[in-house]
Amino acid sequence: MLVEPGQKAKIKVKVNGVLHEVEVEPRKLLVDFLREDLNLTGSKVGCDTSTCGACTVLVDGKSVKSCTMLAVQADGKEIVTIEGLSSDSKLSPIQQAFKDNFALQCGFCTAGMIVQTHYILSERKEITEEEARDLIHGNICRCTGYQNIINAIMDASRRMRQ
Amino acid sequence: MSYSGKSVKRLYDDKFVTGRSTYVDDLKVNALYAAFVRSTVPHGRFKVSKEDALKVKGVIAVYTGSELNQIIKEGIGPWTTYIDPRPWKIPKWKFAEHETKYNGEPIAMVIATDKYSARDGADAVNVDYETMDAVIDMERASKNEILVHKELGTNIGYEGNFNAGDVEKALANADRRVEVEIGNNRLIPSPMEPRGIISQYDGINLTIWYSTQIPHFARSEFSRIFGIPESRIRVIMPDVGGGFGSKAHFIPEELAVIASSIKLGRPVRWTATRTEEMMATNSRHNVFKGEIGFKNDGTLVAIKGTLDVELGAYLTYTEGLQPTIIPPMIPGPYKVRDLAIKSRAIYTNTIPITMYRGASRPEATFIIERIMSTVADELKMDDVEVRLRNLVKEEQMPYVNPFGLKYDTGDYPTLLKEGVKVMEYNKMKEWAAEERRKGKRVGVGLAFYLEICGFGPYEFAETRVTEDGSVIVSIGGTPHGQGTETAIAQLVADELQIPIEKIKVVWGDSDAVPSGTGTYGSRTLAIAGSAAVASSRQALEKMRKVAARSMKADVEEIEYRNGEFVHKKEGKKVTWDAVAREAYSGREPGVTASVTLEGDVTFPYGVHMAVVEVDDYGIAKVKEYRAYDDIGRVINPALAEGQVHGGGTQAVGQALYELAIINENGQLAVTYADYFVPTAVEAPKFKSYFAEKYHPSAYLTKSKGVGEASLIVGPAAIVRALEDATGKRLNKTPVLPEELIK
Ligand code: FES
Ligand code: FES
Repeated sequence: MLVEPGQKAKIKVKVNGVLHEVEVEPRKLLVDFLREDLNLTGSKVGCDTSTCGACTVLVDGKSVKSCTMLAVQADGKEIVTIEGLSSDSKLSPIQQAFKDNFALQCGFCTAGMIVQTHYILSERKEITEEEARDLIHGNICRCTGYQNIINAIMDASRRMRQ
Repeated sequence: MSYSGKSVKRLYDDKFVTGRSTYVDDLKVNALYAAFVRSTVPHGRFKVSKEDALKVKGVIAVYTGSELNQIIKEGIGPWTTYIDPRPWKIPKWKFAEHETKYNGEPIAMVIATDKYSARDGADAVNVDYETMDAVIDMERASKNEILVHKELGTNIGYEGNFNAGDVEKALANADRRVEVEIGNNRLIPSPMEPRGIISQYDGINLTIWYSTQIPHFARSEFSRIFGIPESRIRVIMPDVGGGFGSKAHFIPEELAVIASSIKLGRPVRWTATRTEEMMATNSRHNVFKGEIGFKNDGTLVAIKGTLDVELGAYLTYTEGLQPTIIPPMIPGPYKVRDLAIKSRAIYTNTIPITMYRGASRPEATFIIERIMSTVADELKMDDVEVRLRNLVKEEQMPYVNPFGLKYDTGDYPTLLKEGVKVMEYNKMKEWAAEERRKGKRVGVGLAFYLEICGFGPYEFAETRVTEDGSVIVSIGGTPHGQGTETAIAQLVADELQIPIEKIKVVWGDSDAVPSGTGTYGSRTLAIAGSAAVASSRQALEKMRKVAARSMKADVEEIEYRNGEFVHKKEGKKVTWDAVAREAYSGREPGVTASVTLEGDVTFPYGVHMAVVEVDDYGIAKVKEYRAYDDIGRVINPALAEGQVHGGGTQAVGQALYELAIINENGQLAVTYADYFVPTAVEAPKFKSYFAEKYHPSAYLTKSKGVGEASLIVGPAAIVRALEDATGKRLNKTPVLPEELIK
């Protein structure tokens, strides 16, 4: 796709099951597109170095830090954000596990943590604590000290196997 | 029905786990966006040219200090609730005009239609500098050769002497004297949500959505600074993504956002990028140098020395606490009574320093615990034994420390002995020694702490029974992740003997909550919780009156239990809900009670232990972290434990990884990617225990506080474990790999 300076690019993306055909500035980050253009503010922006993972979403099933991707790069892809993980106001097993295990405090990292957990557990259902720590180490939480998050991930994997 | 003491699930988690939380940046307000041009020199005169920036598409305005400061009438000042400004030398701090005092200081502001254009505009602003001599290093600054603020005539912002007993005599009589140097480097609190603000001015009223811990203080400060009466300012604290003390102060960027919204008559918003957040709130950096005296049996008899606390370029709202709270807390839980501490606060041409979780108690604790460990090492004594010899005993309670602080309740030696057992300290020590014999560098260390928290001067709470019998509790405390709202709902549910589901806790809106101080200093459950209990007690009394009226009885004849008002003699009953409805049909509608509860400090304490491993490259990891605390009555153990985990992980960061490097040009030379906030991989496994036989505070809740405990004592425990692992002597945080490499 070639765009002249000042022009916008047309993209087609499916977000949480809804198809959007929209024009975006080529430099717009995916996370800003989701938050500003689609009003999906569940994904947060915690950094400018792709370090924190607060912006994690699923792009074609893979977890991606949406601040490291341009909206135009999402053209033709399917995106799931935290808002797309629960339906009919029923919590998903992972969301429930986070709640039950006191796995959040300020909540700012929570969306990213849950989306990442979703990704981890969609790839593998059995998981050890060490693996869980390793697989979420791209998501920073400043509040909880992680132990309850790890407990939640382990708990969720148990629930999903049942 | 009893909720208190149980790990009741947090009441308001659903919005966070489903992505419906609302932090400042999530709010949809038809606002313009601000971006800032920042100084690239640590000290210098500057000139801003706006022309190029104004040509950028989407840019609405470019403002400099001289324009903004017409609206910013007063400067940022210290928190006079806690800080006596009289002994201080305080420079005027508004938006920089002509002269910049630190690298990273905002020196011009760009307003645009969206945040990308605002950034473009900021990049197009041209600045000419005429550099001036700068002083970056605190020790050099203390010599006053180069001045940060010429008009002050000195870089020493504060100097105070904290003397108790006769230190010279005590030193002369000591069996042993040893010199010590103990320090904490500069840190960045790093809440996950960067600072953010939206300001809207309609010509009369000012509405501010603000990521803050102190909305009511913000209202009064904004009132003072902008000359607008408090009644016309509303500060709203939406969801706040962590604070750790760093969201209890004001920065020029925020004042500029408010000023520009007043000037333009349009809403303006700004959310800090992470890089900006890192420049907005630095913390710690202090050094204690001195001498101690002790007896051959391990009794510490004297501490003498100088404490230097860095301020950065300006005195922030909170930093003035440090040089006056650290010294009186240095004796900690120990009996030493002869001390002489000169405390100084020093300006440098660097990012201004603010408070961070624990604010002063981590410093004081690190100093005294390093001293205890030094005594132990010098005398080849056990860490526990040395402490037991020096700890204040239960029969001395309440104990007035040499600087006049009154420790309320506690049994420090018993807690230490119990903690050693519960945490399996001796077993772990032996295990580590065994591992070391096999060539591994593992170690175990512990440290004791005494915290001062529950700060007054007061807190507000209101209990309102609504028409259907559900209850709204408004608190002046401002939880932002701690979950205290749930614990407070537990207390109120017990007090009113109604299901917790009937209770809603509200906070953080200066129009909705008439008054308040905020959440900081581990105070919320003790003081805001007690205020909520007190207001609920009064509301219940009013309900009893209404019940009596409806039963045509005297109040004394009515008894309340489990949601029912009972006529003691006649046995007639009315439900809580029916009385609530009745209350709204009378001449004085409704049942509301509010209190402003005064309160004073309380002293939780405990012992924490760390298990560390150091690899051949000097990279250290805390494998386990255990805690045994007496925090008074525990209202919700899971929430309290969460505080131990979170603070403990920040302690790991402070002890091993986090360092806000300031280079010779005064520039912050780390990004978020290499500042190393611990991830799940660096975080230890936690075991947290609370003393079953607790010592209560004087507050109604009997609770003391736990919000900062682990960050207060953790660094000392971790550093001690590193010494055990490596045989090295360490005296400052963070301990970097180069110090630990084989
Ligand atoms: S905002 Fe995307 S990784 Fe931090
Ligand atoms: S809960 Fe606050 S950052 Fe994770």
